Amino acid sequence: MNYSHAELDPRKALPFPKAVLPVLRNPQLRKNVAHAIDVIQTKRARLVAEKDDWQELRTAASAIRAHALENLGAYLEQFEERCTAAGGTVHWAADADEARRIILDLLRQEKASEVIKIKTMTSAEIQLNPFLEANGVSAFETDLAEIILQLGGEEPSHIVVPALHVNRSQVREIFARRMGLKNLSDDPKELTNAARTYLRQKFLAIPTAISGANFLIAETGSVAVVESEGNGRMCLTLPRTMITLAGIEKVLPRFQDLEVMLQLLARSATGERMNPYTSLWTGVTAGDGPQSFHVVLLDNERSSILAKAKQRQTLKCIRCAACMNACPVYRQTGGHAYGSVYPGPIGAILTPQLMQMKFAQSLPYASSLCGACYEVCPVKINIPDVLLELRAQVVNQERGRAARYFDPMYVGLRVANLLFAKAWLFHVAQRLGRIGLGLYTRKDGWIHSLPGIGAKWTQTRDLRGLPDESFHEWWAKRGSQPGKEGK
Amino acid sequence: MKAPLQSRQQIPRQRILERIRAATLDCAQDPAMREEAYAALPRAYTRHGQLSAEARLKLMIERLREYDAEVVETTPEALPDAIAAQLAASDKHSFLAPPGTPSEWMVTAAWKISGLEWTIDHGLATAEIEQSEGVVTAASCGIADSGTIVLHHSASEGRRVLSLLPDWHLIILRASQVVETLPEYFARFQQPSGLVTWISGPSATADIEMTRIKGVHGPRFLNVILVRDKS
Repeated sequence: MNYSHAELDPRKALPFPKAVLPVLRNPQLRKNVAHAIDVIQTKRARLVAEKDDWQELRTAASAIRAHALENLGAYLEQFEERCTAAGGTVHWAADADEARRIILDLLRQEKASEVIKIKTMTSAEIQLNPFLEANGVSAFETDLAEIILQLGGEEPSHIVVPALHVNRSQVREIFARRMGLKNLSDDPKELTNAARTYLRQKFLAIPTAISGANFLIAETGSVAVVESEGNGRMCLTLPRTMITLAGIEKVLPRFQDLEVMLQLLARSATGERMNPYTSLWTGVTAGDGPQSFHVVLLDNERSSILAKAKQRQTLKCIRCAACMNACPVYRQTGGHAYGSVYPGPIGAILTPQLMQMKFAQSLPYASSLCGACYEVCPVKINIPDVLLELRAQVVNQERGRAARYFDPMYVGLRVANLLFAKAWLFHVAQRLGRIGLGLYTRKDGWIHSLPGIGAKWTQTRDLRGLPDESFHEWWAKRGSQPGKEGK
Repeated sequence: MKAPLQSRQQIPRQRILERIRAATLDCAQDPAMREEAYAALPRAYTRHGQLSAEARLKLMIERLREYDAEVVETTPEALPDAIAAQLAASDKHSFLAPPGTPSEWMVTAAWKISGLEWTIDHGLATAEIEQSEGVVTAASCGIADSGTIVLHHSASEGRRVLSLLPDWHLIILRASQVVETLPEYFARFQQPSGLVTWISGPSATADIEMTRIKGVHGPRFLNVILVRDKS
């Protein structure tokens, strides 16, 4: 049984206002999301408050990330050189298709029919798992949330806690069914233990692993992975072969830059002073861990985003998810309605850009522009600013289309354009509007329901009736009665 | 085997780097300017802690305990006894130690407890490590502000797998290794080793309803002996 039927391919997903309807009618899902968000938000607020230098850390992180992006070519080449010198192999993939093929080729060289995976949103972005399945390779997710999703046939709804929309009794149902554990209770401890047992043999038996990367260090050619459970350490340590898929934007100039990022990341992501485990490795190390190591650097439209000065900041993101946790829209809808593996405010700007603005054009509108995301962002991405920029691009796309001449919104805007241009026309419209709306205004001064297109407003909220006189009229009257305002 | 793949890789590599170069024409810098720009990045955050040595250790212990780690303090002289006491209290019987472990740690411990099995890792197979119940390692650094212990996987800290598979991990941390802030760690270790693991408490997850559950895949028990090696 699926708790939601999400389509996370932006090419096929419904527009946000339509995709959101089933969620809004699913009280259990909304309760699960709101509960999880409230817990993270409370913990984060407490830990951020105790950090006296939080704003200075944000400023530093923002500057480091911007500098890395401005010099991305040089830092990537440096990373490649150092990683190669340390025994790693670096591959470059221009798009999702190339990345999938490179990974499959590597797996075929290893004669691998099974692979274990550390949670990586980048692999979800390129839809790696279904591709591997279709080519005869079973991919086993090892992060607890990812197991819940994989076994339950669910899609991720959050980039840090992907199963946040699933509650404990739903997890119990999935595990009992798929692991054959009839007597499992819904105690999170027992559920976690079930996952530990389920995966232990896989860790010990499967010699090939795939990971993402939180950071690539140009100075040393190292890769860093931040995690909680130890499934990451298992995948990084036990297999023979390790394949890391990383977006080209993940690079940091120096090892020392982690002193800023690691202080911000866990506090922003899960409300912890530090996540339980962070691993850093450099190429291959004799006698310790995989002896064959590959990094696949993925472009997939990132270089197009990089080319646009205002939108470039999108790539500063370190995937902490603080923006979605703070977003009043996400809190109501959860992640699936965004139709992308990257939901929330960062998804609303990243997804349409990854799609070259050809899909997901509704996402820049899935925001009230309240700015909460910008306020919490540890690398200071001005998400509202980018949202506005993308909205402008969407409007420009629509300009040339015949349909816009009949779209009620554009008709309305054109009429408004006419009315606002001439004062006398505006006053006439005002009077007509007062008469028209007067028919629907109740005694309490509110309009509770409107016909036609106006119903879109009144079906969810009331509208204040127009006052008996306008400000202009009041002002004109006031002029003939000097001193009345009690000077 | 690898050659054809490598050469096929050259084409996307050049294409991507060219795209990046074109995208950053307005901002990419030459090496000297890049160095200068990097050095000028704003770093007004706290680098050095203000706590006294005593308060720093107290904070380290408090943070570790908040993560559900068990912490005891001891002196260099009493360390072997402290290790023995921890092992005895662990209710485990088979222990591992990295090859660089000081021999007095183990000699005393083994002498005190009957039926205790020590194995030194001179290239043990994964299955053998998996069979062991506990592991004792040294560490490179402790960071009080976040209760983090850093392993650089030297001979006394062991291979990564060693401190991963056994369910019980005892870390010997010296007081002189404890710094207050994360930047102090990075100041101390400017040339990192190729492998670094930052550990903050036992393995945990909050994936089910954001409830923190101790012990998923890594060791479920993290014990720390803090050795007061200087005042």
